[in-house]
Amino acid sequence: MEAFAGRDERAAGVLYDRFASRIYGLGVVMLGNDQSAQDLVQDTFVKLVRTADRFDPARGRLETWVLLTARSLAIDGLRRRVLESRSLREVGMPREDDPAPGPEERATVADLSARARRAMSVLSAEQRSALELAYFGGRTTAEVAALEGIPQGTVKTRIRAALLRLREEMAKETDHDM
Amino acid sequence: MTCDEVRELLPEHLLRALDETTDAAIRRHLRGCAACREERMKLEDGVSALSRAVHDQEPPGELRGRVLRALDEEWEDPGPVPAASRPPTPSRRRSMWMAVAAAVAFVVVVASVTWGATQAHRASLASADAGSYRSLLGFLGGKEFRTGEIQPSEGSTMQGKVVLYDGDAAHGWSSWGLVMVKAPGYDGEAEVTLLGPDGDTYAWPPFHIRNGEGDAWIVTHEDLSTYDRLTITTPDGVVVASAAIHSA
Repeated sequence: MEAFAGRDERAAGVLYDRFASRIYGLGVVMLGNDQSAQDLVQDTFVKLVRTADRFDPARGRLETWVLLTARSLAIDGLRRRVLESRSLREVGMPREDDPAPGPEERATVADLSARARRAMSVLSAEQRSALELAYFGGRTTAEVAALEGIPQGTVKTRIRAALLRLREEMAKETDHDM
Repeated sequence: MTCDEVRELLPEHLLRALDETTDAAIRRHLRGCAACREERMKLEDGVSALSRAVHDQEPPGELRGRVLRALDEEWEDPGPVPAASRPPTPSRRRSMWMAVAAAVAFVVVVASVTWGATQAHRASLASADAGSYRSLLGFLGGKEFRTGEIQPSEGSTMQGKVVLYDGDAAHGWSSWGLVMVKAPGYDGEAEVTLLGPDGDTYAWPPFHIRNGEGDAWIVTHEDLSTYDRLTITTPDGVVVASAAIHSA
């Protein structure tokens, strides 16, 4: 990351190779089409360049920093879409920059959705719902609590338990692979 | 903050869903508590597992070149002065002087804005007023004033105005912000958060709304020009009002 912050093109390539697929996949899952997912990858790396001096390894891992930067940008994209669709609905205009996804894109989204369902199947329905709303939906725990009709503390517990459960499952899979 | 309190908030800390004050308290605690850092690492493993399992998808091959070209352009374009190369924080004495100057100037700004609002039709026609605006900015050493109408969220009554002054941080001048709200029937704390198009947030200290009226203001060396929206939330995180911020 230091080399990346120091404008090292090779470091940029290494970072891209390490994270682009997960940022792109996140874009497909959250934004629902290939073009938006590609834009998300570009925007994320530009944002990482602009904020590289704020990254502090003592505060957390590079991987988490990169993934959550991408997630924040995807959430902003979703919010902008909601605002745009509201204002365009008010004036009765169709969106020009949001073509319907083609068959290939729909297949990619469906494949990722199926994988998501399989991976999340280790979680209880309550944990899954809380994690999806918070991680992919960008909702605060207060918003999740209001949507689910449960106390905010329960939401926090469910998200924590879900993340720990996924960690456990991933560790099991790694053990199997060895 | 106790370990139990920190652990309860760790998922939100990790997902960047906390206000800056609470997040800073968590970071402070983590610096001195190995057990809570360990807990945070476990949750980070969870995020990593989630990303690998749920959204790992190879992008089209041509995207790599496009992104690396964009990064080249980004590096060639110096853009705004980065935080690291800004002048160091002024001494306490200078800070006090600047705070006094800021307070005096703030009154000038508010008076100007109020005057501007009541005389808007004349201001728009008189080039002399544009000159006055420029000389006010020149006097203050700043870049721009921006304003916004604070609109209530669904089910809320809160309305108000926001004024931001973008100081020239490169020369050590502060930026300021003022929020004034009316919220009939609301009594209690609320918090202003500025939002940027890149997902950056800047939370102000909480302020009080009494008898349906409240105001909050900040003077800061942060670069506020990167923020173009604002939300006001209750202590339990419910957004009760928001505003888009535009050039005045």
